This record gives sequence, structure tokens and C-alpha cells, in this order.
Amino acid sequence: MKFLVETIIENLPLARNPEGETILRELVHRGGYKDLVSDVRSGKYLRFTVEADHSNEAKEIIFDLCNKLRIFNPIVHKFTISKVEKL
Amino acid sequence: MNNFNEVEEGMISVMHSEHCSYKSSRPILKAFSQIKSKRVLIGLEQDAGVVDIGDGYVVVFKIESHNHPSSIEPFHGAATGIGGIIRDILCMGVRPILLLDPLRFGSLEKPHNRWLMKEVVGGIVNYGNCSGIPTLGGDIEFDESFDTNCLVNVACVGVGKVENIKPSQVKDVGDLLILVGTTGRDGIHGVTFASRVITEESEADRPAVQIGDPFAKKVLIEATLEAIETGFVNGLKDLGGGGLTCATSEMAGAAEKGVEIHLEKVPLREENLSPYEIMISESQERMLFCVAPSGKEAISKILDKYNLSYACIGHVTDTGRVLVFNNGTKVADLPAKLLSDPPVIHRTSSKPKIREISTSNVYAADLPILIEKKLYSLLESGNIASRRWIYTHYDHEVGVRTILKPNVCDVAVLRILGTKKAIAVKSFGNSVQTYLSPYDGAAGAVAEACRYVASVGAKPVAMSNCCNYGSPENPEVFWEFSESVRGMVDACKVLDTPCTGGNVSFYNEDEENGIIIKPSPVVVILGVLEDQTKAVSMNFKNPDDSIIAIGNTVTRLDLQREKKTIDMIVELIDKRLLTASIPCSRGGLGVSVAKMCISGDVSALIRIPLIPSYDHMNEYELLFDESHSRFMVSASEDNTAEIIKFTKQKEIPARIIGKTNNSQELAFVGNFSNTLDTIRFHLPDLKEKWEKTFPSMLG
Amino acid sequence: MKVAVIQFLGSNCDLDSVWALRQIGVTTDLVYYKDFEEIYYKYDGILIPGGFSWGDYLRAGVIAANTSCMKLVCELSESDVPILGICNGFQILTEAGLLPGALIRNDSLSFICKWVTISVESKKSVFTKDLVIKSQLKMPIAHGEGRFATDDLNKLYKNNQVVFKYLGENPNGSMDAIAGVTNLNGNVLGLMPHPERASDNIIGGKDGLKILKYFLT
Repeated sequence: MKFLVETIIENLPLARNPEGETILRELVHRGGYKDLVSDVRSGKYLRFTVEADHSNEAKEIIFDLCNKLRIFNPIVHKFTISKVEKL
Repeated sequence: MNNFNEVEEGMISVMHSEHCSYKSSRPILKAFSQIKSKRVLIGLEQDAGVVDIGDGYVVVFKIESHNHPSSIEPFHGAATGIGGIIRDILCMGVRPILLLDPLRFGSLEKPHNRWLMKEVVGGIVNYGNCSGIPTLGGDIEFDESFDTNCLVNVACVGVGKVENIKPSQVKDVGDLLILVGTTGRDGIHGVTFASRVITEESEADRPAVQIGDPFAKKVLIEATLEAIETGFVNGLKDLGGGGLTCATSEMAGAAEKGVEIHLEKVPLREENLSPYEIMISESQERMLFCVAPSGKEAISKILDKYNLSYACIGHVTDTGRVLVFNNGTKVADLPAKLLSDPPVIHRTSSKPKIREISTSNVYAADLPILIEKKLYSLLESGNIASRRWIYTHYDHEVGVRTILKPNVCDVAVLRILGTKKAIAVKSFGNSVQTYLSPYDGAAGAVAEACRYVASVGAKPVAMSNCCNYGSPENPEVFWEFSESVRGMVDACKVLDTPCTGGNVSFYNEDEENGIIIKPSPVVVILGVLEDQTKAVSMNFKNPDDSIIAIGNTVTRLDLQREKKTIDMIVELIDKRLLTASIPCSRGGLGVSVAKMCISGDVSALIRIPLIPSYDHMNEYELLFDESHSRFMVSASEDNTAEIIKFTKQKEIPARIIGKTNNSQELAFVGNFSNTLDTIRFHLPDLKEKWEKTFPSMLG
Repeated sequence: MKVAVIQFLGSNCDLDSVWALRQIGVTTDLVYYKDFEEIYYKYDGILIPGGFSWGDYLRAGVIAANTSCMKLVCELSESDVPILGICNGFQILTEAGLLPGALIRNDSLSFICKWVTISVESKKSVFTKDLVIKSQLKMPIAHGEGRFATDDLNKLYKNNQVVFKYLGENPNGSMDAIAGVTNLNGNVLGLMPHPERASDNIIGGKDGLKILKYFLT
């Protein structure tokens, strides 16, 4: 079976995020959304299509792969599997 | 320290750390201060040395390390390393115009090292390119001792007018202290005793390495330079290691003054920072200005213009103390000198047993085949191969100053706009030679960097160094450190390149497996060319030029001879007698001539037995020996006689050993087994070997 | 012509551009983007320099394109003011809608700094009207997002808007190796290579002056 695994890599919550901060300040707030929007974080989004027997296995494969191949660096990054979907 | 409160203890502990205090290295580094030069306006006492290059211009330069962060998070580690050194140059009052990145990695055969190198280069690209400062003139070395601890050093060079030079100290009592940039909890790791806000859970959300913001740095550069132009800034210092504690106490201590600051005024990026955290935070992209009270409005206007966060956090006093208030309550009161002049530690050193690298005997009959194999393997080795993969990722053109491009020159050669002059800068180190003999290896690094700078026609005038070693608590490591400093001091003395500052990075070792890096002093030499139009690159320019080997092939470094040879090369280039020039460095004369051919797409025929040498050496040794004090140059036939005559006058051995041609072949004629024989290399083959290493390893 | 080189936060070829223009005698001011709105009427030409405006965050050029300074530049372009965008300046002009197409990440996915040769493909731009078609210019490129893309290539060719193409190797994967384009009117030109870095023989050549010297008229 094929599964779609969506992952998000972003800077750790307490790390600085210069890109998000700049987008917030220079585009969002300057564009008139100062009262409504208080934070923007930027990150990377990767979507894997993976062969597995069940969704937990798909999740495990991608989690291991991302650790092993240094798709993210836990020293600075937060890694989230945001969605697993059967194709 | 029983009478100190926790804020004071934190301040003292930060300032007395090895990183801020140089407590182990200072007694040894003191030896550099004996070398003086009238060109050096500010030497070891400040953040970065200031060198007078004439016509009212000064050059500020310094090298630093960012090894430990880069080993665990190479991208951001390398990036914030650049951020730090840029601030060091900027805070002297000049515009940063050049970055150099000396790097050391373990073998690229290992995937981890390939990952490290790609990420480090990526971090430099990300930060350096965005900052608008060109990157070139660095060096890179591979050795298994860097497997667990890679080295990421970074040097920056700035240029400005002599009258804009600002000391990193406060000036008059009553001057205002303006802090630019926001403060967060960056760099306060593992310190929990005084920080009640950080819980263990939130600590897991905090990165162990800081994230740099090159855009904020670029804005800080422009704002700082504009603020200095107003004439109201009496002194400034960047906030790096030791944060606000270091900036305030060192600025006050250097001027024999005191400061009073109020922490509730500090612009914060996070809520509820304790006084302790504010005093030791190492948040990036911050600067502390000492401003004459009459200039408050003018400076505020500039900082507003650039959308920077800032606040006037206090003023200069005559008490000699760092006095810290928070919402009206005194939270610290310490003598500035207690923080800025910490006590030293005298470490013991002991000489390790003699180190050797095994060599094998070669037989004359095998020489042609050995030479062929050796030249190919040298050209594709990581320590020698073309750096094109690296430098095409770096913006090395921004600034419209780059005269000689990295494809034809290993040295950064930049014109000084508004003058006829140019500067030449090169970083160099050889950890294997330093491991075998710390004294000779370190002295040799100074000599070799000087030789690089001289090879373009620039006179070497000053030096900065970064000393990368294992733990100073290990007597053998401390011996390596002391010996190599002794070597550098002796070399700087003879070569007339005083040390203007630098950095020491200890503890580059792996506790688990006991691997200690090879001792790695990295030297940066600054040279000055009076006439920028005379700069010479390494590429052969024309067929039918004479190829001249200058200097004897002889094993031991002789500093006096080095100095004479360097001076002579600079003179030859000043007389416009040379068409190409390269120092004999890694891989000896054979690699040098191959690089001249490849970079110029001009071929050559070399007669090996003509290479000057004292001792009897075979062809293999003559080609690949890495003797010091040698150059390879080319000249038009018309100028050859004058060059040889000049070298005779100077009593430096030199000989025409071949000619350039258009044959697409690099040919070495030898005297093998008493039969004259020629080893031929197809130039495109050499080029392919030389160029392919990094692209094929790193993609 | 009196030229304003507009400095955005993060511009880094601003001083280089001012230097190159002044070298050839163009009266040039460096104008901070916030100040431009007050003094724009003093200038006859505009140069938007290279660099990393607002750190290239989100997308190269997008934040600068959203400033009121750029809104004003858009209005000025309608009154035929010559506008040259170099590298990040080109990216800003496409983001602001003054030039067609977009500049996306290089196909190598990495930043590239090297000298390239480009050919002149159109005399529609005021900056190239006196150049010879198919003549070659040598200049450095230095960018990570310089791959030109458009959804209507035919229209660009039909209207003669393709001004420069890379010769030999296509360094960044641009569609049809396009290195520079102009607007329908011919008064706005954007290119990825850096003419200001090819402004003196000692730094490698001065072909860039062939473009910049239009500001002398």
C-alpha cells in the first residue's frame, strides 16, 4: 500500500526565526494586519510517498529516514509528521 | 567569591571562562607583543588590529574560530561565526570588505564529513553573500584528526579612513551608552541555577546553536557606519561572547572608567528575562555605542531610519565599577577591572615523544611511473584540488574590488577604492607539519602565508592568527601550543609581520574516543601593493615565456632566507618583470607548475635536473619536495636576463628550468636511470583530475 | 541624466552601482528607499541595485516590491522614466509587476558567482538601443534565484522583450537562457548579470558600461 506522509521542519520553538519575523514585521504588519496576526514562523514542508503495510509503519519509516539521513538537525530543528494518508 | 550575589557570580564566571579570558593562553601569547611596527596603529590590546596602509587609509583584520557550534550544527554555526567576526571589524569603525574561511574537515570518504562540509559552505553562502562582503582567500585542509572536531575559522578585513577608527572603550564621564539590537535568551545554556524562568521542558525547545540573521547584520553595518560618520560615537563594541557583561566591563576597563546601566531599558525579544540572563545573553546582531550626550538625537535618528531596536541603557562614570540596576534596585556592583583583567593560569607543558610519518625509498628506474601517479594523486587530493566548487558558491565579486579572481589566484587581492593601492590577504595552516614539529610547522605557516601574499606582488605587513588545539589541561597539547606560538613569534619577527590579534580555540577533542585534533594554528597575512595595476596572478599568460624556479630545494626553513626571497619577489613584480607567479606550497614545484598551466591553459616543458637544490635529490624529490622559500615564476624572454642578474645580486638561487608552449602537454624531462626521458601529461587530463574532486564528492 | 540608486534594507550592490556610474560621469545619488518618496522629482533615471533586500526572505524581491517606494517607481515608469534593475533589482521589478516573468531558484539549487557571456537580443530597451544585435558582453553573475521563468514566452519574443541571453552554458536553467528582459514600453530593463561589476578593466572588464552609459544621455 502507498501512503502519503507530510512532514514539517521548522526551527525549534524558542529559536529565532529571522524569515518569519521579517515576513511578520515587513509584510503582514505593514500590510494592515497588526491587530490580527501576532506571529509567523517559516519552515520546510516535505511530502513523502511511501510503501508500507499500515499507516503506523509509514510514519515510522519516514521518521527513521529523516533522522538517519539528517533531513533535519535536532540541535536546531523541530520535526513534525503532520499527516499520514492512505493513497 | 562568597560575597558576590548570583548576578555578580554569573558575570565573573562568564568573564573568567577560557573563551573570554584567555586565561591559559595569555602568558604564552604575550610573546607576540614584543614585535612592533610603525604601521600597526592598534595592536593586540583591542578587538582587532589596525594597520596603516598610507594615503590616510587603515586596514583592520582579525581571525576567529567557531569550531564547537559548527561541529554540531554546521550551517548556523558557520553562519553565526561570520556574524561575530564582522562585528569585531565593524566595531573598530571601518567597513568590512573581505571574508576568508579557513576550514578543516576529516576525510570526505565519510558521509558525515561530506554533510558537515556542505552545510558549513551553505552557512557561509547564506550569511556571507547576504552581508554584501565578498568571500575569498581562505584555505581548506583534510585530516582524519578532524573527524570528530571540524574547524571553522573565519577572518574578516575592513578598510576605512584613519580618523574614523574607534577604540572599543568608553570616553568621557557622562557619555551615554546606547544598546542596539534586541536581547533574548540565546547562548544561556545549561545554566539553570539563576534562571527561574527556564524550565527543563522549554530548554528542549531552545537550540544549542544560535540562528543568525544576515539581513539584520547588513542593516547593522550600514547603521553603525552612518552613526560613526556623525562624529558623536566616542567608542563602540560588539556584543559577542560574554554579552553585555563583556561589552560594558571591557569598554570601561580599557578606559579606566566605570559604567552605570539600567536593565529595564534593554530592548528584549522574549518576556521575563532575569537580570542574570540579560547580563550574560549572547544574542546576535547587537552593538553597544558610547555616545556624547549632545549626539543622542542624531544617533537616534539614524537608528530609527534603519528600523533598529535600541535604547539608552546608561552612562559612563568615573568610579571604575560596573554598576547594574534593575527597576531601581542594584543587582550588581563590581570593579570593571575584576571582570576585564581576569587572573591567568600557568599550565604545565611537556614534550611528547618524537613523531614521524613513514616514508619509503624510491628507486630510480621506477621514477617516471611514480612521478606520473604522484602528480595525478596530488592534484585530486582534497588538500590541493581545485576549490572551484567552493568559491563559485561564494559571492567573491561584490564590492567591485576583486582584482585577481580565484580561478587564477589563491590569494584575495582587492583594490582600495579611491587610491592606487591594493591589499592581498591569505590564510594558511599546515596541521601535519605542525603535528610533526609545532615550532617549524607554525613558523612555516607564517612563512608560507607571507609567500602567497608576496607572490602577487604585495609586501607582507601584518599577521593575525587563530590557534586551534585540544585541551590546554593536557601538558602535551599545551606544549604544542607553546611551541607553535614560539615558532610564529620568531617568524613574525624576521618577516616583519607583527601579530595584530587573533583567537585561541582549545578543547577541540573528543572525550569519548580520545581523538585530539592535530595542532592547527591558522595564520592570516595582510600584504600591501602600492600599485594595484602591478598585481600578478598564477596563470601562465603566453607561450614562449621562460619559467624560472626561485629558491633552493632544501628541507629546513631558514627565516632569513625566506625574508630575502620574499622581498626579492615583491621587487621583481614591482619592476613589472614577471608574467605569472606562484609560491611553491603543497605538492611542491610539480603541483605549482601544473596549476600555472591549468589556470592559464598554456602548456610547459620543464627540465627537472635544472631545479636548484643544495643536496643531491632525485627527480621525484625535486618535483614534490615541499621546501620553503621557493617560487615559480614566468617572464617574457626579453626580461629573463635581467631577472637572473637581479637574483644573483640578491644571492638567491634561481634558474630557468623550462619554457611555456602551446602543445597542450605538460612535459617533465628527467635523467632517469641515466637515460634522458620525458614524462608527458595531457593538459586537459590534468585539468579534469584537478577540477573533479569536490564536484564528485559533494555534488 | 540625474540618477537615483535606491537603497533598500539589505541592498548590497548599491555603493558599487553608485561607484560605477560616477566613474563614467553620471550624476548619481544613493537614495534611501524611505527618502525617495520625498525627493523623487529630482531624478531622471532610477537604478535598483543588487543585493538581498530584506534578506530575500519569503521570495527574493517580494518585500521590497510591497513598499510604497516601489509603488511610486511603478507610477514613474508610466511617465517613461528609465529604470534599470540589476540582479535583486530585476527580482524586485518582476515582483512589482513592472517586468514580465519571475526569477526562481537556480536549477543547481545553489548560489553561483562567475563570469558569463551574454548576447544582445533586442534593441527595444532604451539601454540597448545603440548596441549591436548578437554582440557579446562579459559580466559576472552572483545569485541563487536567477532562473527566469514565464508563462508566455511567445508573447515576449513577439514584442521583442527578450533583451539578453546567456551564451554557452546556461548557468541557472533560465527558460531559453534568458538573462534580461524589458517592458512593453522599453524604459524598464532587468538583468541578472552585474554591469556595475564589469565597469573597469582592473576588475575583469568593462562591458557593463555599455549598458550603464545610457544614463549619461
